[in-house]
Amino acid sequence: MNSSRNLGLVLMAPAIVLVVLFFLVPVALTAVFSFTTMSTSTGITGGAYQLAPNAIQRLRDQFGMVELAQKLGEPSFVIDERGLATLEAKGVAPGIVAELRSNHLNETFTVRRDVERMIRSLRERPSTPEVKLISAEFSRSLANARFADEAALFAAVKAIDAQLTEDEKAALAAASYSGWTWTTENFRRMVSTPDTARTLFNTLAYVSLTLVLFNTGFAMILALAVHYMPERPAGFFRILWLLPRITPPVIYVLMWKWLAWDTGFLSAVLDDFGVRPRNWMLDSAANAWVVVVFINGLVGASMGMLIFSSAIKAIPQSLFYASEVDGAYRWQQIRHIILPQLRWPILFVTCYQTLSLLTSFEYILLSTNGGPGGTTEVWALAIYHTALNNYAGNLQYGYGAAMALVLVVIGIVLSLVYLRLFNYGALVARPLIEH
Amino acid sequence: MTKLGLTIKAAAVAVALFSGTGLTAAQNVTISVWAGGTGPNDNYRVDAIDIAADILEREYAIRGKELSIAVEKKTYPTWDDFKQALTLAAEAGNAPDIVVTGHEDIAPWSQSGLIVPVENYLNLDAWPINDMYENLIKISSYGGVLYGLPQDAESRPLFFWKPHMKAIGYSDADLDALPSKVQSGEYTLANVIEDAKKMQDKGVVKPGYGFYPRPNNGPDYWQFYTSFGGVMEEGGKLVLDKAAMQRFYQFFVDAVAAGVTRKNHIGTPNDQWFAEVASGKAGIWHGGTWHYARYVNQEGLTDFFGNVAFSLIPAGEEGKANTLTHPLVYLLTKNKSEENAGIAAELIKIASEPRINALHAIKSAHLGITKQEANVDLYSSDRWAREATERLLPYANAMPNNSDFGTYWNAMWKGLESAWTGQKAPGQAVQDLETELKSSLGEAIVVR
Repeated sequence: MNSSRNLGLVLMAPAIVLVVLFFLVPVALTAVFSFTTMSTSTGITGGAYQLAPNAIQRLRDQFGMVELAQKLGEPSFVIDERGLATLEAKGVAPGIVAELRSNHLNETFTVRRDVERMIRSLRERPSTPEVKLISAEFSRSLANARFADEAALFAAVKAIDAQLTEDEKAALAAASYSGWTWTTENFRRMVSTPDTARTLFNTLAYVSLTLVLFNTGFAMILALAVHYMPERPAGFFRILWLLPRITPPVIYVLMWKWLAWDTGFLSAVLDDFGVRPRNWMLDSAANAWVVVVFINGLVGASMGMLIFSSAIKAIPQSLFYASEVDGAYRWQQIRHIILPQLRWPILFVTCYQTLSLLTSFEYILLSTNGGPGGTTEVWALAIYHTALNNYAGNLQYGYGAAMALVLVVIGIVLSLVYLRLFNYGALVARPLIEH
Repeated sequence: MTKLGLTIKAAAVAVALFSGTGLTAAQNVTISVWAGGTGPNDNYRVDAIDIAADILEREYAIRGKELSIAVEKKTYPTWDDFKQALTLAAEAGNAPDIVVTGHEDIAPWSQSGLIVPVENYLNLDAWPINDMYENLIKISSYGGVLYGLPQDAESRPLFFWKPHMKAIGYSDADLDALPSKVQSGEYTLANVIEDAKKMQDKGVVKPGYGFYPRPNNGPDYWQFYTSFGGVMEEGGKLVLDKAAMQRFYQFFVDAVAAGVTRKNHIGTPNDQWFAEVASGKAGIWHGGTWHYARYVNQEGLTDFFGNVAFSLIPAGEEGKANTLTHPLVYLLTKNKSEENAGIAAELIKIASEPRINALHAIKSAHLGITKQEANVDLYSSDRWAREATERLLPYANAMPNNSDFGTYWNAMWKGLESAWTGQKAPGQAVQDLETELKSSLGEAIVVR
C-alpha cells in the first residue's frame, strides 16, 4: 500500500512540475508585477539613479526643490586642481596636465562638446578615448549621470560640493530612481479609466456568445448529427469540421479577410445584387462581432464535437435499442438518454472553453485587432496591447500584469462556480455498485 | 569622483584601446545590428554597417592592427514586432550592439539603461558628425546628451492625384501653385474634404476614396493635431490641448460624414492601400517621402511627377500647415564589452558618411542627414530628394523625446479610432482621453 502510494507520487511528479512551472510561477509573477510600475523605461531587473531631464523635472515640480534641480541639472565643466590631480594619479601624459594647468586653469564650460574641443586643441592632441577620460574628470554637474546605487549618487553630489539635507537626499533619490517601484496605482488607474468597463463587457459578450452558440451548442448539434449518420460520412464530416482548428491561425484569418474585405468574396457576390461593397469585417460593431464570434466559434466547435461524439459512442447501444422498442423518437432519445449521460463532458467543455476563451485573443488580434474603435477589444487583447505593444517603445509591464491578474481571479472564481454548478462532488463519488 | 560611471567607462576604453592588450593578436569582433520598420528598399540601414566595417578594418590595418569584424544583420518589416523583440531581448541580456529605431525610443530606453550615449565614444567634431543637420542632432539628443546618430530623415506630405484634380477643374498652373497655397494657409483641410467630395460627385473616384488616409496608427496623425493648433510638448512636459485635439478628431468625423473617407478605413491592409493610392483609386491621401520608393519600385507608378502633386499637411482651424519628420537613429546598446561598443560607435560614424548615407537616402527615398550629401551626385540628381527636401523639410516638426510619450500616443490613437468609427462623439472621446491621461500620467502632462 505504502509503495503504491509512493509510486503514485512519482507518477504525479511530472504533472506537478508542469503545474508549478507553467501555472503557479506565472501567476505568482503576475501578481508581483501587478503591484509595480514596471515598464520598458524602468526595466525589469532593477534600476539606477539617473538625473535625466524627467528626474530634474520631478525634483522641481513634485518635490519643489527648484534650486537643487537647477544646480544638478545644468552641465558644467571646471578645469580645477582636483581634476588635474586625478588625471596625474591616473597616469595621463604629464605634458597634457601641465598645459591644462598653465593655460586653462579655472576655465568653465557648460557644453561637453566645448570642453572636449579645448582638450583636443592641446599640443599633444589626445585621442578620442583619452579626451573622454579627461573631460569626465572635470565634470562638475550630475546632469544625465547614471549611478548604480544611492551611495554612489550621494558621493557624487558631495564631490561637487553640494551639501544636502536628509529631506533633499530622500527627494533626490526618489526623483532620480529610474527603476520600478511598488505601487497600487495600477488598480486605481484601471478603475478610473473609462474603457475598462467596456472592455469587461466586451469580454463577457465574447466569451458567452462563443461558448453558448458554438463551443457547446453547435458542437452538440454536430456531435448528434454525426452520431445518427452512417459511419463513413460521419468520419468525413468530423474531419471537415476539424479543418478550422488545424489550419494555422494566420492563414485561417487571412481566408476570413478574403471573404469579408470590401474587395473580397462577399462584396463581389453581393455587388451583383446591388449591395454596395463594404468591409464586412469592420464596417460596424455588429459586423465585427459576428465575425469575431464566428472565427473563434468555428475553431472551438470541433473540440466539443469530438468530445461529445466520443462520449455518445460510450453510451451502451442497448439503451438506444430499448428506447426504440419503446417507440422513442430521436428527440426523446437525445433528451432522456444522451444529454443526461453527457453531463461530465459538457462540464468539461464549458469549463475548459470558458477559461481558454477568456485568455485567447490571437484570432481577434489577427482579424479586427479590437476594432472598429475598440468595440471588439477584449480583456486579453487589451493586456497584449498594454504590456507588449507600444509604438513608442515603452511597454507597460506593470499595468499589463495588473490587468492579467484580474483575468486570473475571474478564471479561478468561474472554475469554482462551474464545479459547484455541475455538482463535481457527486460526479467523482465512488460508484455505489463497488460497495 | 564625479560621473563615476562615465569615468570608469572611459578608463576602460582607454585601457582596451591604448594599453595594447589584446591587440597583438588578430582581433575578431562580431557586431550585431537590428533595424525596425525596414522593408526591401531600406536594406542600407544595415548594409551600411557592412560597408563601414570594411573601411574600419582597413583603417586598423593602416595603423598596424588586425581587426576582423563580422556583422550580423537583422531587419523587421514592422515596428511593433521589432520593439517588442528588442525590449524583451534586452531584458534577457541579448540586445544587439547597434539598433536602428525611431528617435522617440531614446527617452524610455536611456532611462532603462538599454542604450548608452554615443557621445561617450565619439568625437562630435569629427567628420561626418560635424556636418549633420543641427535639428537632427537635437532630435537625437535627450537632456543635452547625444544618444544616437541620425540615420535618415523624412517628412510626410499630402499627395494629390493630378488627373483627378484636373477633372474637378484644376489647371496645371493651379496644381503647381497648390503647394505654396497650402503653405500660406490659403488651402486648408476644409478644402481637402471639399475637393475630395467633388471628385466623388464627379465619379472619378469611388465613394470613400476621396480622402484616403494612412490606414493604421503612425506618427502621421500628430500632424493633424498640429494642423489644428495642438502642441505635443512644451518645456519638457507633454501637453494635451483639448480644443485642438477635438478639432482634429472632428476633422476625421467630418470626412466620414461627408462620405469622402470610409468609416471602416482603419485596418485596411497596407498592401491594398499602397496599391490603391499608387494607381489612382484615391484622390487625396497622405504618406511619407519614402513611399515614393514603394510607388515607383514596387507598385509600378512609372510617371510619379506626372500623376502626383505633393504639399505640406494643410492648416486647419487655428493651426498652420506642417509636416512631421521622424528620423531614425543609430543607437548603441549598453554592451557587456566596451571594446564592442567602441567599435560599434566607429561603425555608425563611418556609416553616416554622405556617400554611404546617400545610398540609403536615394534607394529608400529618404532625405539626407548631412549638408554635404547635397554634393553627392547620386543625391543631387534625384528629383524627389531635391524637391521634397526644399518643400517639406524646413517646416517639419518632430515628436518629443519623452518617456511618457508612448502612453500619450496610444491613448490619442484610441480616441481617434473611437471617434472616427462613430463609437464616441469627438467631445466624448477627448473627455475620455483626458480622464485616461490624468489617471495614467498624472502631473507629467499639462491639460489645457
